[in-house]
Amino acid sequence: MSVTRSWQRKPLFVLGMIGAVTVFALAKGSAERSTQVGGPRLVSIEPLPGEAGMCEPPSPGSSLGVPAAMQQGAGSAAAAAGPNDDARLAASRRRALRVIRDPYAAFAAIAVDPIRDEVVVTDNNFFQILVYDRLANTPPTASQTEPKRILGGLKTKIEFQAGVYVDPANGEIYAANNDTVDTMVVFSRQSAGDVAPTRELFTGQTYGLAVDDDAQEIFVSVQNDSAVLVFRKGAQKTDGPIRRLQGDHTGLAAPHGLAVDPKNRLMFVANHGAVRRMHPDGRPTMGTGGAEGQKTWTISRHVPGSGKNGPPSITIHAIDANNDTPPLRTIIGPDTQLNWPTGVVFDPKRNEIYVANDAADSILVFSATASGNAAPVRVVRGPRTGIKHPTGIALDTQNDELWVANYGNHSATAYKAGADGDVAPLRTIRSSPPNTLALMIGNPGALAYDAGREEILAPN
Amino acid sequence: MSHPQIAAFARLAEGGALPTRRIFGQKTRLGRTIHGMAYDDVHDEIVVPQPQAQAIMTFRGGADGEEAPIRVIQGPLTLLGDSDDDPDRLALDPVNHEIFVPQKDYILVFDRRANGNVAPLRILKGPDVFRRASGVAVDPVNNVLLVSGSPADGGPRGVMIFERTAEGNAKPLRMIRGPKTDLRGGGRIFSYPARGLILAEGESGTRRNVVSEEANRTPLNEMAHDRGYVGVWSIHDSGDVPPRWMIGGPRGMMLQIRGVALDPKNKTVMISDKRLNAVVTFSFPEIF
Repeated sequence: MSVTRSWQRKPLFVLGMIGAVTVFALAKGSAERSTQVGGPRLVSIEPLPGEAGMCEPPSPGSSLGVPAAMQQGAGSAAAAAGPNDDARLAASRRRALRVIRDPYAAFAAIAVDPIRDEVVVTDNNFFQILVYDRLANTPPTASQTEPKRILGGLKTKIEFQAGVYVDPANGEIYAANNDTVDTMVVFSRQSAGDVAPTRELFTGQTYGLAVDDDAQEIFVSVQNDSAVLVFRKGAQKTDGPIRRLQGDHTGLAAPHGLAVDPKNRLMFVANHGAVRRMHPDGRPTMGTGGAEGQKTWTISRHVPGSGKNGPPSITIHAIDANNDTPPLRTIIGPDTQLNWPTGVVFDPKRNEIYVANDAADSILVFSATASGNAAPVRVVRGPRTGIKHPTGIALDTQNDELWVANYGNHSATAYKAGADGDVAPLRTIRSSPPNTLALMIGNPGALAYDAGREEILAPN
Repeated sequence: MSHPQIAAFARLAEGGALPTRRIFGQKTRLGRTIHGMAYDDVHDEIVVPQPQAQAIMTFRGGADGEEAPIRVIQGPLTLLGDSDDDPDRLALDPVNHEIFVPQKDYILVFDRRANGNVAPLRILKGPDVFRRASGVAVDPVNNVLLVSGSPADGGPRGVMIFERTAEGNAKPLRMIRGPKTDLRGGGRIFSYPARGLILAEGESGTRRNVVSEEANRTPLNEMAHDRGYVGVWSIHDSGDVPPRWMIGGPRGMMLQIRGVALDPKNKTVMISDKRLNAVVTFSFPEIF
C-alpha cells in the first residue's frame, strides 16, 4: 500500500484570500489518503444568508461570546431564516482552512521476531502495522527507515493497536486494539496492504497483549474494567475467554501492558492507578455495553462514586490467577519512579522486568522478585537514549536486545538488554527525520478553544 | 490511543506543528479516553471527565506538563459513574457556575466550584425527561439546556431542549428530531449562545458497512465514513427540521467527527476527527 503525503505551509488569510486547502478523500472501501494542495483563490464577499439582524462578534477574550451576549440579552438568539438549499450545499462542500495532523507514523507497540530478523510496530497515527528489518540502522541523512511491508486500511480493522505479538512458530502477527475497535486481529506473515485479517477475535476494548506459548494462551488487559482476560491461542470470532482476573482485591487499576513468565508461572501487569469498584450486582458482559455472555467476560458495571486515583504500580500475579484473586506482590511507591507505566516485558535471562515508563521518558528495570517500594535496579533515560514517551517494549532473547517504541518521537530504538543510564541506542528505526517530536494526537474525542491564548485544546 | 494528554495548539497551527504545551503524566490523573471537555473563558479553567476514576477534574487554563488538577469532584456523594463509560461527556455554564454531566437516563448538575466528595445540585431525571442522554450542552444566554439522545416517548433520537434550570421529571420544551434532521450520529452536541445556535453531529444518507463485519460486533461503518458533518440548528427550531448549515460534509473530508470548538473572532469552526486523527479548521462566517 502506498501512502502519499505532502505538507506545505500556506498563507491563511490575506485580504480575502483563502489559502491552499487540504482534503483527505475517502476512497471507496479504502483508507488510502490523498492530499491535494492547491493555490490560493479569491473568495467573493457578499451579504450572507440570514445575516440581517446578526449581532456584533463577541469579545475576543470569550471563546463562546457568553459574557458579551449576556449583556445583549436573549434577543441575540432570534432565529434568522436559514439559507436556501443551494447555499447550504455549497457551504457543506467548503474546504478546510487548516489541518493539524502528524505527518509521520507514531509507534505505539512493538514486537521483535529474531527468527525472521524483523521488528513489528503498530502505528497509532495512520492506523498501520509496519514491519522493518531488525538490523536496519537508519543513517542520520535518511528521512525515514523503509518498512519491508505495511498493513493498513479499513479492511484490516487496524486502528489504535497497543499490543502486538509475533508468533515464533509461523510469523503471524497478533495486534490488540486499545480503544475504538473491539477486535484483536491476526495476520499471516504474507499479509500486506489493506487486507482482511487472517483471523479475528472479539476481545472487547483491551490494551496490553502477551502470549504464553507453552500453554498456548493469550492474555489481554482491559483498562476500563481493570481486568485481565485469557483466551486460548487459537480462539477466534466470539470464542469466550477461559479465565478472567477482575475484582476489588486484584490490585488491577487501569491496567496497560502485561507480560508473562511461563517458567515461574507469573504474570506482570502495569497499572496507571485509576480504579472503580465492581458493582455487586454486575454480570459478565461481552465487552463494554455488550450483551450478557459467558461468565468469564468482564463485569462492566461499577459502583457509582467509588472511583479513585491510586498510585501507579506493577502487580505480580500467578499466571493462572482468576476471579478476584489478590496479587502475589505489588511494586508500588515513590522510589519505584513509576509514571504512567505502560509496556512491560519479562527477561528470563536476568530474571528482570522492563517497564516503558511513558510520562518520565524512561525504561525502568526491576528484579522480577521485587516488591513494595522498590527502586529500579537500572534506569535507561537521558538525551542520548532517544527515548521519548515510550509506550511499547519488547525483548529479543536470542540477540539479548531490548526494543522500545517511542510514541513521542516516531522511533523504535534498540539497546543491549543490560543497558543502564544515558546510553545511545544500538540501532534506530524511525518514520520521520531524526529527532522529530510527535504530536501524539490519538482519538481526539473532544475539543475546546481558548480565545485568550488563541489555543486549540485537543485531548486524547 | 496509547497516551493520554491534553495538547494545546496555536490557533494557526497546521500540518505537523507541535503543541505549545501538553498536560500529561501521573499527577494529572488523566486517563484514556477523554470524550468531553470545556474551556471556561470566564475563569480560565479546563474541565474534563475521567471515567476510570469517576471524576470531574478542573485544571488551570494555562496548565502545562505534569500538573495536578486544582479541583476534583469525586466520591460516593457525586453519583458519578452509573454506567460503563460515565462520566464521559460534560457541559459547562461559566455564568451560573454549573457543570452538567449526562449519565444514562439522567443528568447530574454540579457547582463548578465544588471540590471533593459533593452531591449534585440537582438531577434531571424521570419518566417524562428522556430515555437516554448521549450528549449535553448549555446556553446560559438563552437559558436552555440541550440534550441529545432518545426521547421519553421512545421516538427517534434527536435534540431535546429544556429550561436551563430543569430538574426532576421536567419535560423538554421542544424537540428537534425526525428523518430530515440527520441526527443519528454519536450524539455530540455543542452550543453557541451568542447566536442561539445548536451544533450537533449529523449523519446523512443510509448507513452501510464499509467492509463486512464477520466476527465482531463493532459496526465497521463506525471506523470511518463520509456521511458525517456538523449540523447547525437554532435553539428555536422544533420538530423535523433539517440543519440550517452543514459543516465539513457530508461527502467532505471528515471521517469520524468527535469534538467541535468555535472561534467567533476569526469566524472559524474547529472539528476533531478520530479516523483522521486530526483537528480540522473551517472558515464559516455564516454562523457567527
